[in-house]
Amino acid sequence: MGSGTDETTTAKRLLTDLVDDRPDEGVFRVDRTIFTDPAVFELEMQRIFEGGWVFLGIAAQAANPHDFFTTTMGRVPVVVMRDGQGALGGFVNACPHKGSRIAQTQSGNARLFVCPYHSWTFDSAGRNKNVKWKKAGCYAEGFDADSHDLARLPAFEEYRGFLFGSLSADVPSLTDYLGEAARLLDLVADQSEEGMELVPGGVTFTYDANWKLQLENCSDAYHFTSAHPSYIRILEKRQEKPDASTTRSVWESNANWSEDAEGVQGGSYSFPGGHVLNWGLLGISDALPLHESAERLAATHGEARRDWMFNLRNLTIFPNLQVAENASSQLRVIRPIAPGRTEMRTWCIAPKGESAAARRQRIRQYEDFFNPSGMATPDDTVSYENCQRGFAGKVQPWLQGYGRGMTASRQGGNLFSDSIGMTPARSVTADAQLCDETLYHSYYREWAKRMAGVEA
Amino acid sequence: MSAAIIDAVSTPLSRAEAEEFLYREALLLDRREWDAWLALYEPDCVYWMPAWRDETTPTEDPDGELSLIYYQGRRNLEDRVWRLRSGQSIASTPAPRTVHAVTNVLVERSDGDTADVAASFTVHRHDVRSEKTHVFFGRYEYVLARGGEGWRVRRKKILLLNDVIPTVIDIHSI
Repeated sequence: MGSGTDETTTAKRLLTDLVDDRPDEGVFRVDRTIFTDPAVFELEMQRIFEGGWVFLGIAAQAANPHDFFTTTMGRVPVVVMRDGQGALGGFVNACPHKGSRIAQTQSGNARLFVCPYHSWTFDSAGRNKNVKWKKAGCYAEGFDADSHDLARLPAFEEYRGFLFGSLSADVPSLTDYLGEAARLLDLVADQSEEGMELVPGGVTFTYDANWKLQLENCSDAYHFTSAHPSYIRILEKRQEKPDASTTRSVWESNANWSEDAEGVQGGSYSFPGGHVLNWGLLGISDALPLHESAERLAATHGEARRDWMFNLRNLTIFPNLQVAENASSQLRVIRPIAPGRTEMRTWCIAPKGESAAARRQRIRQYEDFFNPSGMATPDDTVSYENCQRGFAGKVQPWLQGYGRGMTASRQGGNLFSDSIGMTPARSVTADAQLCDETLYHSYYREWAKRMAGVEA
Repeated sequence: MSAAIIDAVSTPLSRAEAEEFLYREALLLDRREWDAWLALYEPDCVYWMPAWRDETTPTEDPDGELSLIYYQGRRNLEDRVWRLRSGQSIASTPAPRTVHAVTNVLVERSDGDTADVAASFTVHRHDVRSEKTHVFFGRYEYVLARGGEGWRVRRKKILLLNDVIPTVIDIHSI
């Protein structure tokens, strides 16, 4: 920010300058500065990650009384704890005394947290239970006027096991924030009557590029055959000669990614708040671990919702949650570290109670495709890094990656969303080659709104 | 069967032989001699790099917990090698330069047919694409088995200790 400039005015100027959104003229462009500018990044931290709803984790990460897990909201360390009565709470993971982190590990179980620095003690509901040597401390009255409890997140809510928090109290209810995109979280949560869990063994990786490249890539059908030919070819090789040592994949014979497939193959949905889905028709494939539950799911939830659970679905809940259900099932949390650096915390999310064979299949598919040690994700993240380096070229500042689907985008839903009673703001029905890019508009319209200081 | 052959078959793996074998594998990886590297593995080999459950415990059950890499069958390693050489993976092209330094080699158990070998590794990787250098380190646990052409890998477990992955990690860097 330039010194002496009113911050809000500056933000509005930035947005006018950096997102060129003229729907009546068929123009949507993004200036590559939004991926590189430290001032933009600082404002993203304040207004998006530390100023509104962000995803924290799932309830199963703290399943039992006194369980906890840690995460971050922007730059702020956070601990989510389940108290002795079973209630979940979200707190800033910092001692009110000197600011030291209270919880030291990614997860655990603790009835009491004793601060390692000066032994102030807190219970699993965040209440201060002891100030060491308080009576001998000769505190004045003013000390007792302050709460010594852990700072509670100004907003903390759960939707069907998905936990969200906000460091600003000035937010809509979580239900309003998620809106109709909640129907897509339902499709994850309803796969088992016992709910979802994270398979033990989280994987963390970094890449040297902006967080919004991950945001976009999840929704990007256009890159698949370009970035992942080695993965596709290996699936073909396995299919030619399957044996017990190879893992099947739903993609090995799928028309969705075949460039000459005809007819409707899927599409995209955009929702208010910056949430988006891209999806593809997969059918009730026996290469999916969920196949064993196909009949039960149809009986419980109806065929339409069951069929949607089997569709390829890449969901983003803005700004930091992605649930990708395609080759396997991945839950990703995006953590921006700097304009040119991002940390990804990733897990295999799975329905509780699935058979050992289905779980094994899900895990093998996941490792192959999603891991940074696998055969697909590295070809994405290296491409993000190539983009980040290319963004230095500002001779032509406007990126041209937001135009596909412009004349196919429709207000409201379509037959496919109607079948599960979901009403998106916009929809695109696509063949194999359309590869909609208008769903990114939803990201950047919400981004622009939030950056201008308008709370979601 | 002559006495000499009986001796060769029944002699446990010595530390010197284990070192020779592990150093050979390291050199083949660093020289990108992939076919010779694959030939060190039995067709039904297990190649396993666990993930971490939490700060202190690696995952232990590959069928119920996530691994960074888990393959049963050399065929899967052949696929990985194919990918590295294919020119169809931007993450694999151009190839990084690596040095595997294998140390602390111990034969923990051996009969004439099989041997358990433990070692430590450090892999220095220079990624020429991004002009960045990383060091990966950890421990190896091998099960080697003696076949017609000498010792082969029946099982290799790679316990990667610094598991926050800088963009890419592949079979050439572990």
